[in-house]
Amino acid sequence: MTTSDVLALLVLAGLTAYTVLGGADFGAGVWDLTRDRRQRDLVVRAMGPVWEANHVWLIFVLIALFSGFPGAFAALSRSLTGPLSIALLGIVLRGAAFAFRQYGAPHGGPPVRGTALWGRVFAVSSLITPFAFGAAAGGITSGTLRADGSAGFLAPFLEPLPLVAGLLAVAACAFIAAVYLTTDAARAEPGLVARLRVRALASGAVAGALALLALPLLPEAFRNQLPWLAVTVSVVSGALALELMRRGQFVLARVAAAGAPAALLTGWAVALYPWALPGVTALSPAPSTTAGLIVGVLTVGLLLVIPSYVFMIRVLRAPVERARS
Amino acid sequence: MLDDLTAAREQMAFSLGFHIIFAVLGVGMPWLMQWAEWRGLRTGDGRWTALARRWSKAVAVLFAVGAVSGTVLSVEFGILWPEFMARFGSAFGISFTLESFAFFLEAIFLALYLYGWDRLSPRAHLLCGIPVAVSGVASALFVTTANAWMNGPVGLVEGPDGELVSTEPLGPFLAPTTGPQVVHMVIAAFLCTGLAVAAVYAVAMLRDPAKRDGYHRRGFAAGAVMGLGLAVPQALVGDWASRVVAEYQPAKFAAMEGLEETTDGAPFSVGPWEIPNLLSLLLKFDPNARIAGLDVVPPADRPPAGITHLAFQVMIGIGVALIALGAYAAWTWYRDRKRGARPTDRRGLLIAIAVAGPLPFVALIAGWIVTEVGRQPWIVYQVMRTPEALTSQTGLETYFYVTIVVYLALSVALVAILRRIAAGPHPAPDRVLEGSAV
Ligand code: HDD
Ligand code: HEM
Ligand code: HEM
Repeated sequence: MTTSDVLALLVLAGLTAYTVLGGADFGAGVWDLTRDRRQRDLVVRAMGPVWEANHVWLIFVLIALFSGFPGAFAALSRSLTGPLSIALLGIVLRGAAFAFRQYGAPHGGPPVRGTALWGRVFAVSSLITPFAFGAAAGGITSGTLRADGSAGFLAPFLEPLPLVAGLLAVAACAFIAAVYLTTDAARAEPGLVARLRVRALASGAVAGALALLALPLLPEAFRNQLPWLAVTVSVVSGALALELMRRGQFVLARVAAAGAPAALLTGWAVALYPWALPGVTALSPAPSTTAGLIVGVLTVGLLLVIPSYVFMIRVLRAPVERARS
Repeated sequence: MLDDLTAAREQMAFSLGFHIIFAVLGVGMPWLMQWAEWRGLRTGDGRWTALARRWSKAVAVLFAVGAVSGTVLSVEFGILWPEFMARFGSAFGISFTLESFAFFLEAIFLALYLYGWDRLSPRAHLLCGIPVAVSGVASALFVTTANAWMNGPVGLVEGPDGELVSTEPLGPFLAPTTGPQVVHMVIAAFLCTGLAVAAVYAVAMLRDPAKRDGYHRRGFAAGAVMGLGLAVPQALVGDWASRVVAEYQPAKFAAMEGLEETTDGAPFSVGPWEIPNLLSLLLKFDPNARIAGLDVVPPADRPPAGITHLAFQVMIGIGVALIALGAYAAWTWYRDRKRGARPTDRRGLLIAIAVAGPLPFVALIAGWIVTEVGRQPWIVYQVMRTPEALTSQTGLETYFYVTIVVYLALSVALVAILRRIAAGPHPAPDRVLEGSAV
């Protein structure tokens, strides 16, 4: 494997982590659109401690991309200016709104004026951001973008494939989140399990349907590159997740539910490689000494971060009594 | 109407200026929290613990805004300056890659710190604060090395097309400007945090004299000592920074000092006044030494002198004012201690600190204006001009306005929520030792 391959793999790993971890946080925001108070509290409790760490995966991807593949980063930035700026707006509003909403009414006192509004902003921006990211991926795939951005600001939104991909991203986030939240509810809020389960099943079905709908929209050349193994894994894990949800085996369902989008993403990336924009801009790495060092730093860094992350989840998810000992 | 270049620059400046306010608090607050929590554990004085808990809530909100505004910056690099990123993205690759792990560790351990108060043993909880404090400083450090490299690029070689690119991966750590910039930045972060905290308690004590209790006095003292104690070191490091700028970026230095022409025995200007020969004396230890003016570079390479000069004067003015305030505070503390009184009983001192609270932030922004505007017209000093870096997308003006509106809305909400956190009832202290000195 060349340095370039390793770097690309690391970018893909970051992207996958962002999809299944950060994506779940966006999906939780989508389910926050409900009026039900208990469900919204569940969302806050589930997301509160983890969303920032999950969000750093996005920064990881951006940094790995511009350090490792500076030319591709520039081309992607120029050609995806539209969706990226919309995603950015969504990220800013969502992060800030979540914090405001969480801390806007502490100590049981009356909420600060506007806290309820920020709650809405949180939910809506959680919908917009994955849509924009999905559309960006769809735009890349469609092959109509130009490295100098001359296809235009709105180009990534003007075709069926990016629109379907955007919706697929939203549905996938909602699905993962519903599955995760069902597990949390089973522990903390049993009254919610039944309705969250229905939502998981419904959003999972929608996501599956959208994925199938996207297939015929793919450009011929891209479809021929798709590794069918990855697509199969994705379909099977998705179906498995639905079945496990139906049977009430929530913990296993979590794994399967994460597997479906992860496999799809991997398949997409493999089909795209070595291009950043198919046929236009390749992923050509930074000068080799730098690229090598970056790979080294990324690897060592991940070896530090992953155990810390696991430790955090274990402490914060455990019941208070057990965590203390 | 703003042209695209101006809009992009204003956008960059505005979003950096917004981010850095939260970033410096993200660097400094964890140290204050650690200190308070440790004091609480050591002495059993519950008021320190209560302070640490209260601060941790504010930090949670500030950190969230810092994190999202930082993400905006990473994406903006590409959206606004793709040519720059294409050529030099890997130049500060190592800095930012290290930075991303500092962010990870900060976010992970901050979550443990914020949500782990009842889940971890007091000791383990305290230990979780250490990676947070260390990574905060590390982020400031890494990101500043990237900027220092833009001011003094080293490690350049010719790329395939004969243009200069950087391949020396450690360039940002070896740039001549790195040392002073990094140290100056980290101290600035502590200065800002300390005085902001002290000012919050000073205002509370001024509004309601009943609040001059042990809890508020401790919060006040921790912040004031951290902030004012660093005023002198900051000026010394600033002096070092000036010398490095004079050596490596003479045009920037001339702009800072407002020196049009190369002069022997250059005067030092303070506001409207000029003190003869002082600049030469300060810089070269010789009252008649020759100082390079803006005329050492062709007109097309000169930075905008007016704003650089003004910003520099503001920063120095605030630096000197903070030193004076520190001396005054130390003197009152020393005097009052002998009489068994408390410095916080002095309205004058409280007012001075309350007024001084925002000043380091003004100096911080001013300092960045000196650095960034003074580097113009270069984005990478003497290697790449700012217009060459600009994106081909147009309509950047709209972007800029949207950013302003969104950030203003965030600021208003943030202030309301921080005030609510500050006004909430105090967490019950476990054990209060009244009468212990502040
Ligand atoms: C709390 C904030 C603060 C205070 C009180 C001061 N500074 Fe400062 N200064 C900064 C915060 C700052 C900064 C915002 O952090 C900068 C911008 C870039 C950097 O590395 O530090 C900076 C930059 C900066 C530069 C430009 C460095 C460059 O372009 O590479 C110089 C020459 C000085 N400072 C000098 C001083 C002097 C002589 C001061 C005291 C009297 C002083 N600063 C007080
Ligand atoms: C890693 C650190 C930094 C990098 C890579 C960076 C990069 C840039 C870039 C690309 C520009 C636009 C081109 C230009 O006009 O010079 C810029 C401008 C600017 N930046 Fe920085 N910057 C950094 C740190 C900061 C920080 C922390 C601030 C603090 C507020 C800041 C303040 C500004 C200002 C005021 C401008 C506008 C300059 C002008 O309009 O002439 N910079 N910077
Ligand atoms: C161009 C320059 C900059 C970029 C691209 C940038 C990028 C970022 C990003 C992406 C984050 C979010 C990390 C997270 O989610 O945890 C962040 C946070 C942070 N940044 Fe910046 N940053 C820049 C300038 C600075 C400067 C000059 C400082 C120095 C003080 C700084 C210090 C921090 C700190 C301490 C945090 C932690 C979050 C917080 O406490 O607010 N950054 N930055």
